[in-house]
Amino acid sequence: MEKFEPVIIAFVCNWCTYTAADLAGTSRLSYPTNIRLIRVMCTGMVDPQYVIKAFLEGADGVLISGCHPGDCHYINGNYKARRRIKLLKEILPRFGIEKDRLHLTWIGASDGIEFAEIMTQLNDQIIEIGPSQTRLSKVI
Amino acid sequence: MMIKIEHEDNSLTKGLQQFFKRLLETREIDALFLPVRLKDSSSIMPSLVTESVQVDNAVPLSPAFPLNSGRMVSRLSYKLSGRKTAVLLRPCEIRAFIELIKLKQGSRQELILIGIDCPKALSSSDYTAYMEKDPLDDDAYIQKVFSENDKTLNGFNFSSACNTCENPFPVNTDMNILLHGVDLSDGMIVESASETGQNILETLNMQQATEPVKRDEVVAQIKEAGLKANEEMIKDIEEKTNSITKLNSFLDRCINCYNCRNMCPVCYCKECVFNTDVFYHQPVQYHQWAEKKGAVKLPTDTVFYHLTRLAHISHACVGCGQCSNACPSDINVFELFKSVAQNTQAAFEYSPGTDENEPPPLSVFHEKEFEDIIGIERE
Ligand code: SF4
Ligand code: SF4
Ligand code: FES
Repeated sequence: MEKFEPVIIAFVCNWCTYTAADLAGTSRLSYPTNIRLIRVMCTGMVDPQYVIKAFLEGADGVLISGCHPGDCHYINGNYKARRRIKLLKEILPRFGIEKDRLHLTWIGASDGIEFAEIMTQLNDQIIEIGPSQTRLSKVI
Repeated sequence: MMIKIEHEDNSLTKGLQQFFKRLLETREIDALFLPVRLKDSSSIMPSLVTESVQVDNAVPLSPAFPLNSGRMVSRLSYKLSGRKTAVLLRPCEIRAFIELIKLKQGSRQELILIGIDCPKALSSSDYTAYMEKDPLDDDAYIQKVFSENDKTLNGFNFSSACNTCENPFPVNTDMNILLHGVDLSDGMIVESASETGQNILETLNMQQATEPVKRDEVVAQIKEAGLKANEEMIKDIEEKTNSITKLNSFLDRCINCYNCRNMCPVCYCKECVFNTDVFYHQPVQYHQWAEKKGAVKLPTDTVFYHLTRLAHISHACVGCGQCSNACPSDINVFELFKSVAQNTQAAFEYSPGTDENEPPPLSVFHEKEFEDIIGIERE
């Protein structure tokens, strides 16, 4: 059987998680290439729509990652993001998109090592869950 | 305080009309907003009435429910008019209006909210068919709907929203017209629900009524029947839509007309993202989708649209059923929305339309909450 290479979309905030990813890069740490980073200014700008679209287009997992509580550069964008992810975790499983395909983490700007570790773990986990139903469906 | 609305010429409807005329004549209010049978027509539409004789065409209780008037009351109240209006609304219309107040799209300042025990509704197409085929007169309808808790009317099903409603009783008003558990041969009862309501009822100088003894029991029975029907409906619709592919089949007749959104009283955006250039795709985009999936149906973005609407407003869904009523493709969007709304409302312990001081869950946050969803551990 062909090895399952998941597609994972990660919305990362410019100030923390993206900076951590950059640091991981400059420190020559490696992490799975299945994870496609999309840089956003703040997790607070991730409309639930973006997550829904990612899944409908066949993503096997979606990660939203930003600053730790209290560190958001727009003061409270990450708290708003948390409510939106909570909301999506209520809605998506109802349609068979498992809760564990969607995650929210806080990764600070200096946490390059942690960033690489979490990406590796996330990738392993999504491989374990298997391909998403939306890969095969004709739904747009 | 409770007052009695007596029959007028042996008619409950005329008794109600008389009550509204008296209200209008007190000069405490300048206008009424209530369902009116239009001239030479069987259509009953919510209307703003300022002339007492026009009240003779009012039909406060009927199975016509062309739209959720909460939305119309928002149009009447989003700015001050310098006029006082008494508005008569069904329970789910009140809930919708309360949600709009929270969004600053309406205000109670110049309104007297009058609630009414819900007289149930037929879909607009069923209502037309029912009116063409030997309908009950206004009074016979009231007698029937408030004495039997039937799911049908002359062979037409009441809307599935009504048949699965757990809360067809008004709250958060200035006064309420009560029919359930009331001896209708003796008339109806109006109870005050606020100080303003009480003051107005006092000026009417009408006969006082006593608490209808059987009401609590009847209310409890109706709520329970609603809950049970709701549970069955939800089980069924969940089963029908528990994967994206099944959801897609459920929605496969959808033509993206967005009527369901337009008629949803709590879909509040002035400009919907689905009407913007974001969804005016490049021709090549359609080809790319087709090439990726083998085939793609047009219009596209149907499941995307419904999931987005669920994410944006299911927390505020008041269960009025107008989304289904508006659908030209006969998709029971209401059942889908109510089944998801139940989960999202529970997740945020939110009860739409009950308390105007309860902020919509996506408009607030707390520093310490939902910490269990942070991190990538599997749930
Ligand atoms: S989603 Fe449907 S049932 Fe819910 S409030 Fe909107 S129109 Fe009414
Ligand atoms: S009203 Fe019906 S056809 Fe129109 S967008 Fe809604 S579900 Fe689709
Ligand atoms: S700026 Fe990083 S989460 Fe808001």
